[in-house]
Amino acid sequence: MAVDRREAAIPVAAPPTTTTEHAAGAAIRQSSLWQDAWRRYMQNKAAVASAIIFVIICLYCLLIPGFWKIPGIWTSLKDYDPNAVDFSASYAGFSLDHPFSTDKFGRDLFARVAVGGQISIAIGFAATFMILVIGVVYGSISGFLGGKVDNGMMRFLDALYGLPYLPFAIITTQILSPSGSVSVWTMVVALTIASWFTAARVVRGQVITLKENDYVRAAKAVGARWYRVLARHLLPNTLGILVIAIFLELPGVVLGEAFLSFIGLGINPPTASWGSIAQDGREAYRLHPEVLFIPCIAIATLVLCANFIADGLRDALDPRTRES
Amino acid sequence: MALLEVNDLKTHFFTREGVVQAVDGVSFTLEKGKTLGIVGESGCGKSVTALSIMGLIPKPPAKIVGGDVLFDGKDLTMMSEGQLQHVRGNEIAMIFQDPMTSLNPTLKIGTQITETILAHKDVSKQDARKRAVELLQEVGIPRAAERLDDYPHRFSGGMRQRVMIAIALSCSPRLLIADEPTTALDVTIQAQILDLLDELRQEHEMAMILITHDMGVVAETADDVIIMYAGQIVEKASGFELFDNPEHPYTEALLGALPQLEGEEHEIREGRLTAIPGRPPDLVNPPEACRFAARCPYSDSGDTCATVEPQLREIRPGHWVRTAHPASERSGERETVNA
Amino acid sequence: MSSETASSNGALLKVDNLEKHFPIKRGILWERTVGAVKAVDGVTFEVAKGETLGLVGESGSGKSTTGYCILQLVKPTAGSINFMGKELMQLGREELRRMRREMQIVFQDPYASLDPRMTVGGIVAEPLEVHGIGTRRSRGETVRRLLDIVGFNPQFTNRYPHEFSGGQRQRIGVARALALNPKLIVCDEPVSALDVSIQAQILNLLKDLQRDFGLTYLFISHDLAVVRTMSDRIAVMNQGKLVEVGTAEQVFHEPRDEYTKALFAAVPVPDPHRQRERKAERARLRKESRAAAGGTAPA
Repeated sequence: MAVDRREAAIPVAAPPTTTTEHAAGAAIRQSSLWQDAWRRYMQNKAAVASAIIFVIICLYCLLIPGFWKIPGIWTSLKDYDPNAVDFSASYAGFSLDHPFSTDKFGRDLFARVAVGGQISIAIGFAATFMILVIGVVYGSISGFLGGKVDNGMMRFLDALYGLPYLPFAIITTQILSPSGSVSVWTMVVALTIASWFTAARVVRGQVITLKENDYVRAAKAVGARWYRVLARHLLPNTLGILVIAIFLELPGVVLGEAFLSFIGLGINPPTASWGSIAQDGREAYRLHPEVLFIPCIAIATLVLCANFIADGLRDALDPRTRES
Repeated sequence: MALLEVNDLKTHFFTREGVVQAVDGVSFTLEKGKTLGIVGESGCGKSVTALSIMGLIPKPPAKIVGGDVLFDGKDLTMMSEGQLQHVRGNEIAMIFQDPMTSLNPTLKIGTQITETILAHKDVSKQDARKRAVELLQEVGIPRAAERLDDYPHRFSGGMRQRVMIAIALSCSPRLLIADEPTTALDVTIQAQILDLLDELRQEHEMAMILITHDMGVVAETADDVIIMYAGQIVEKASGFELFDNPEHPYTEALLGALPQLEGEEHEIREGRLTAIPGRPPDLVNPPEACRFAARCPYSDSGDTCATVEPQLREIRPGHWVRTAHPASERSGERETVNA
Repeated sequence: MSSETASSNGALLKVDNLEKHFPIKRGILWERTVGAVKAVDGVTFEVAKGETLGLVGESGSGKSTTGYCILQLVKPTAGSINFMGKELMQLGREELRRMRREMQIVFQDPYASLDPRMTVGGIVAEPLEVHGIGTRRSRGETVRRLLDIVGFNPQFTNRYPHEFSGGQRQRIGVARALALNPKLIVCDEPVSALDVSIQAQILNLLKDLQRDFGLTYLFISHDLAVVRTMSDRIAVMNQGKLVEVGTAEQVFHEPRDEYTKALFAAVPVPDPHRQRERKAERARLRKESRAAAGGTAPA
């Protein structure tokens, strides 16, 4: 049997001096788990930079389209209406009037990409949220119950994994909107259905690991009923994993939406999403590549940032370094 | 000349929260063929001392900031990594606490043994393998030749520790450092391993440093004993002398805190163990004077204990102690209640 | 087996032929049970009210599993557990839940036995909450009182477990075990993960609590000296079976079983003179057993 001498022989951080001596002494460290995690996250330069860029992108999408309507603030700049068609300005190239150039219809891309971002990011977060909800429910039931139920649920999941992601999403969108025009919510549902599996598996794994902890046994020994054990002990301790999972699922969903819209099976013009803007730009990309590339760069940047953030979070919340 | 001479060794850890003075002025000598036991609780610096000798402390946060380690007259602290690698495994070997994690799970144990031999000796692979089989037999693993090709997970904890010992002995080192080698093992296995270490040590004329928190293990194996507390040596004596006449209040308290296996029935069941109140001091800001004063039943308040740092002095030939209140100089039961 | 309404001689806990087998499964798609690991293989003993029974054994002996079986944290495969006159294996879920108030546990690992996301106060109050005892305010008072009893500063109820040392966390665990005022506490290696000086603190605490509250302990440990200091009677387990039971005096001074003797001979004693003798004794026992078995393999 291993006697685990946790108060490690090699000190990692020294406890602050205690001045009071109650029988058992004062607390040896005074910070919460989240503070420790925050500090560790802040040390990861890539993660911090990514978080800043991510926030900037979100602010850009939120503020640019609506902001212009506020009089007195940007009066010196033009009104960047994403839907204002002006054929005379089509493919106008980069200028101060149109920082991101214009598209075929002369619509300003600076505003249009922002609006598109709203849709894309909204779909991203909505779908991610739903994925996590379904994943948590499925995964925690499977992990908590164990045995044959867990077995069955996981085999079912394995079968679903065999379905190709995008065709599955496409079929779902077609089923949900037979009229042919795909709404935002249809996209969200389709993408969720096609990609909840990994989240379920991750949550299940976490629940199974946590179940073995003595504090879960302690709760059972005291007579806590299963829902209390699940809600009070297991799920709160999966919070860390869930936060990381958000930033791991987000890229997949955003890319999924972009791709579907790009090939015309998702959000259709004139509604802007990064994918549909890219689709618009497909025609003339040889002559005016910016219409295609700019939304693609936006997508890539967002996805890259999300990955770095997830990495940073994982390091920050790593239970192995959490203690000691 | 002693085989190993450690002089005023100081190892500090430079962390975000401050400089942890993990080992703060440790000195001792070890003669060929003898066993030294280093005893202390967690955080006292015993493992760091051993790792410092081997140069195995993690170099970014840790650094040997003072003193020297003379092995056969050569200063190990002055050696480059390359030179140290020649010493490690070859002249000084180390075995660790947890046999589960000290062996590489993806390599056959035969490979792990021969790899050490081939790194230091100029022999052929076949010869190395033959030596490996011999070693496994020596440490008492049955069917050694067959088991050479097994992976670590096929061995029990005790067996794995034997394999570790085999690896350690493979190049016939002159010094073996064993850091809590039996803590993770069952007590019957522990006894076997300790007996084995003793046998091998005598056969190979090896010196041994045994690090442990277990006073019983030390009583069994050590010729000389060092008690460490808060990075310093607080008592140093031969094994018999230390247990017969403990001088330092901490040593006494440690012995008193041990549950007794043998003794009067009634006393054992009804009696209380000597509990040392409080906790070891913070090594970032160690107390200026005596580091044990806060927990010591004999410390004066506001007198020598809080102002003067006690030095290690020879209270009897061969028996050193660092305290202002050694047992033999105490007149009567003068226990004070400290703030 | 009929459920006995009263134990024969006032024993608080009577365990009879307890068995716990873990099936060994093979196969990928369809799992077949090919055998079983007999973690607990027919264990019988009694614990009288107010006494401490030390359950001692090495790793794999089944002692912890026995403890979990008694508390019904693990479902025994067979056998009877008679606690306070009731047959635990036959209780309905609600009744078992009520019985849990009378039997609690202190775990070995001070780091894994406390939920890192709950405050100290929350952890100690949980048993009270689960059984709907008291109001929020009265629970707070009870929690502070319990923490004080175990020597933990009651001011720190809003802190989190990771802010405290191993010994302090074990005190929190003990406070939690006391919260429901149980009759029986199973101590599963409660001091194995602690330093010697802290061990002494916790062992003294447990002894004091037993005296003050009339508790009955099932004290599980691999450390013979610790068991000796805590127990009135001792049961020795080896590979799922109980090899020896008796008063501490009997078992320590006149062990009858070979395994018990070997176990005692192996424990290091902090006395160099005695240790030389014991080493010789061990060598003698080894020679004997080797002669008897015609050559044994070391573990």
